[in-house]
Amino acid sequence: MTNKPSNKPSRSHYDAIIVGGGHNGLVCAAYLAKAGKQVLVLERRHVLGGAAVSEQVHPGFTFSVCSYVVSLFRPHIIRELELVKHGFHVIPLDCSFLPLPDGRSLARWSDKERTRREIAKFSPRDAEVYPEFGLAMTKLARFSKNVIDEPAPEPTSMRPKDLLQLLRLGRAYQGLDRDLRYLNLKLLTMSAADFLDEWFESDVLKAPMAVSGIIGTYQGVRSPGTAYVLLHHYMGEIDGAFRAWGFSKGGTGALSNAIAEAARGYGVEILTESPVDHVRISDGKATGVVLANGDEIGAKAVVSGVDPHRTFFGLVGEKNLEPELVRQLRHYKLRGSSGKVNLAVDRLPNFTCRPGAGPHLEGDIAICPSVEYLERAYDEAKYGDFSKRPYLNVVIPSLVDPSVAPPGQHVISCFVQYAPYNIKEGASQWPSKREAFGDAVVSTLAEYCPGLEDSILHRQVLTPWDLEQEFGLTEGNIFHGELSLEQLLFLRPVAGWSRYRTPIRDMWICSSGTHPGGGIMGAPGELAAKSMLKAGAA
Amino acid sequence: MSTRFDVIVIGAGHNGLVAAATLGRAGRRVLVLERRAVIGGLAASEEFHPGYSSAGVLADTCLVQPSVVTGLGLEQHGLKLRAEAPPVLSLGEGEPLLLPQGRDAAQVERAVRAIGRLSKADAERYPAYVAQLERLAPALRELFARAPLDLVDVEHESLWGLGQRALRVRKIGKTDLMELLRLPAMCVGDVLREYFASHQLTAALALPALAGTFTGPWSPGTAINLLRRECLLGPGIVGGGPMLVAALASAAKAAGVEIRCEATVAKLRVGRVGITGVVLEGGEEIDAPLVAASCHPWHTLCELAPPEAIEHRLEHRARTFRSRGRVAQVLLALDRAPAFGGDPVEHARTGGHLDELERAFDSIKYDEVPDAPILEIHVPTVAQPELAPKGHAVLSALVHFVPYAKRDGSWDEDSRARLGDRVVEILGQHDAKLPGSVIGRQVLTPLDLEQRYGVHGGHLHHGEHSLDQLLIRPTPECVRYETPVKGLWLCGSGSHPGGGLTCAPGELAARAMLAKR
Repeated sequence: MTNKPSNKPSRSHYDAIIVGGGHNGLVCAAYLAKAGKQVLVLERRHVLGGAAVSEQVHPGFTFSVCSYVVSLFRPHIIRELELVKHGFHVIPLDCSFLPLPDGRSLARWSDKERTRREIAKFSPRDAEVYPEFGLAMTKLARFSKNVIDEPAPEPTSMRPKDLLQLLRLGRAYQGLDRDLRYLNLKLLTMSAADFLDEWFESDVLKAPMAVSGIIGTYQGVRSPGTAYVLLHHYMGEIDGAFRAWGFSKGGTGALSNAIAEAARGYGVEILTESPVDHVRISDGKATGVVLANGDEIGAKAVVSGVDPHRTFFGLVGEKNLEPELVRQLRHYKLRGSSGKVNLAVDRLPNFTCRPGAGPHLEGDIAICPSVEYLERAYDEAKYGDFSKRPYLNVVIPSLVDPSVAPPGQHVISCFVQYAPYNIKEGASQWPSKREAFGDAVVSTLAEYCPGLEDSILHRQVLTPWDLEQEFGLTEGNIFHGELSLEQLLFLRPVAGWSRYRTPIRDMWICSSGTHPGGGIMGAPGELAAKSMLKAGAA
Repeated sequence: MSTRFDVIVIGAGHNGLVAAATLGRAGRRVLVLERRAVIGGLAASEEFHPGYSSAGVLADTCLVQPSVVTGLGLEQHGLKLRAEAPPVLSLGEGEPLLLPQGRDAAQVERAVRAIGRLSKADAERYPAYVAQLERLAPALRELFARAPLDLVDVEHESLWGLGQRALRVRKIGKTDLMELLRLPAMCVGDVLREYFASHQLTAALALPALAGTFTGPWSPGTAINLLRRECLLGPGIVGGGPMLVAALASAAKAAGVEIRCEATVAKLRVGRVGITGVVLEGGEEIDAPLVAASCHPWHTLCELAPPEAIEHRLEHRARTFRSRGRVAQVLLALDRAPAFGGDPVEHARTGGHLDELERAFDSIKYDEVPDAPILEIHVPTVAQPELAPKGHAVLSALVHFVPYAKRDGSWDEDSRARLGDRVVEILGQHDAKLPGSVIGRQVLTPLDLEQRYGVHGGHLHHGEHSLDQLLIRPTPECVRYETPVKGLWLCGSGSHPGGGLTCAPGELAARAMLAKR
């Protein structure tokens, strides 16, 4: 067992202590240990992985409780940490399926010709444009690798190194042809829906494409700034192939376990059920951590793998921060907007528009029949309600990975948006609305596959409130802070502190709340570790 | 036939007139062609009820650029700047809030006193808010008050020029520079909520940021429009838009510019090497080697230019340049001055809560008319009583969040009347006697505004003020006013730095044209 509980550190002093055993904390730990450092990871829960976790919530059924697909994970991290050797295995998703209430449906396949035929049913013109769009996006995704595989550029710095980095970025931009530059600027600033309107005519195609722009944000598909997230869909790379999404075999937690195994291989010590109360600070310098049980462990450097809010207001404490920074941090927007419903079912859902089993169920299934449907779901949420007819992203991992459910039975994972953390009754009232929220999700899905209700053996409903209470995601934000332009790059988490450092000396941060942001990417953990090593910390 | 004119300017709106006057003063022989019988475009005064005239559709003259006033010597042509920008009365649920717009000490102090009645904490924060805007203004002016940056064709920019600009921007210091990079992409609501808690104050400050956009206060990228306005803000003009138009026309004529009304350009004539002139409706042809079009870029590139002269890609970009009009105008002739509490005010706006603005915006996403649209009220007769009979008044309400095309059928007399009734009803909530004093009324939907003023999509700013369309306006090919068709230039609100009565596109376009030759 990889998650064997063990609660005593073997030493009293480490080179680095990582607070939080999520995927970024583990990646950071592995890189530090690989460079020869003595590293300890402290995880509050009984399992590792943070939001990238698999748990047996119902006997025989393994749920990827929160995060459910893998795509953005940086391939060089897989190589450098030899994750495949430690059991990381991705099963690619072959299909994106969109059922419609009127009995029609659209399935987009990795097979281009098949996709063309499917789209042509709705618009022959769009079918022709679709590959062209994909090509442009792929080129821009390549360009954006310049940004996500390096610490954020610092436009206000006059240091030669930072100016050089800016210059390199400028050169890469110049390397794009003029059409792509224009497209890039539009992509960064426009709304997903407006952006797609310039390319496509069919709402049936635009809705499932636009929706990737709003995952995890508290914005609608018509909100400016949502277009660039479309790129994420083309950035997913497994074995170097762009636009590939996949399930981690054994659930998303298996990825975390693989990283943990790799880390242990490099000598990292990992303790679960070891909540940290705060970071020990003297003279503005981090010297170790104090656990919830009062134990103290010393370290040359402390790295926070939890979100910026918890890092600064929890681990560090307001009293150790400048008032100006406190003000900036208070304005850092978390505002979770999504929930998760996991179902254990005794049979496969049967979609009216494409009855029976089939490969169309083996990928992701989107419930978002039109752009207007999505926008109305957002409108409801804006004023503090969960959407009665939400956007659902449904996957049935048991179809391709039988290890997660008993034979003949299945796991259905529904990512749900919108479920705003700040409901008008107050976030703490979420528990009283949890079942109503679960019902809304199930009845929404059941409109497309009648009989679903009767097949449910167990239902796990996670509201944003639960994501906060269970997984320590402040305000239930799955990305540790909104991925809006003013919270990206050199502004993530706040201006001046985007390079994984904090105002507390020897205290670092490596979570999704830093550049390049959330999703199971591993990049913040890696970049933080590399920055630390370069700076001679730990 | 010999060429009589060096330049033909299409459209005698404020930007067309500024471009014409600037070119005329540089010695060019300029002809301005105006489709309507009156000049001034959206700033023209119009009689809408016997004896009652409007002061135009766009009433906010505070953005008129001082460089235009001095550059064209407009003060010699009767234009007078106000001492300070007029205050705006914000009408919410509680007591109205009279907010000065300027950033000088006296106005800030008055604002602090007014806000103090709503919230002590907000009043204390207000000077810091204004100071922040004041510190950012010089850097923002580098973007909005100067020639456009070519972000796509970066090779076009001289390194020297870019470096100088960058250095001037850097002058504001590292902290403010970060703020300058952080704020533009934000929701105006979020920016204001970082400073203020009062719903009425935040709503009052947010509305101007939505001008020319297709967004609500909770949409990202709206803050740039607030910053743009703040950095361009001046004192405004005595006599408003009509006075501006009169001064511009006078300056243009003094510079030898000829202005012809009721002369509709039907086609641009393009020869092998570029523009050779224009063809009017009715067939008359006028030669000129240069044409500056102040009309909507879509109209210029997709309707006036011969299709074979415009590359497909440019045509597609001009067509997708977003111009969704969402403002109607309701003009009221009143037999008494409106009384919204306190002294008579020229400018007022409704909306007491950011969510109220947002809900109104929600409707237009689905082409529906909101139940409670937001009103931007202008009472021109406070400063210009001559627009109405003695003792009477004119009220113009720009009705925000009215769809261009209604989902439940096109605009007709009935729906137009319903909109007018609703506006009067809303005004009645703030001045109970107002509905009884209406003796004449005109309702112009976005569709009507399009037909009357030739603004594509009924969009008063010739293209939405979204982040992308403010940075690259209107398309990469035309970002420096010059189009790929040799001799054809754009000089209207659809070009940098955008719409409203700034006069900047006309001025910057004319300067670019002069620099070229």
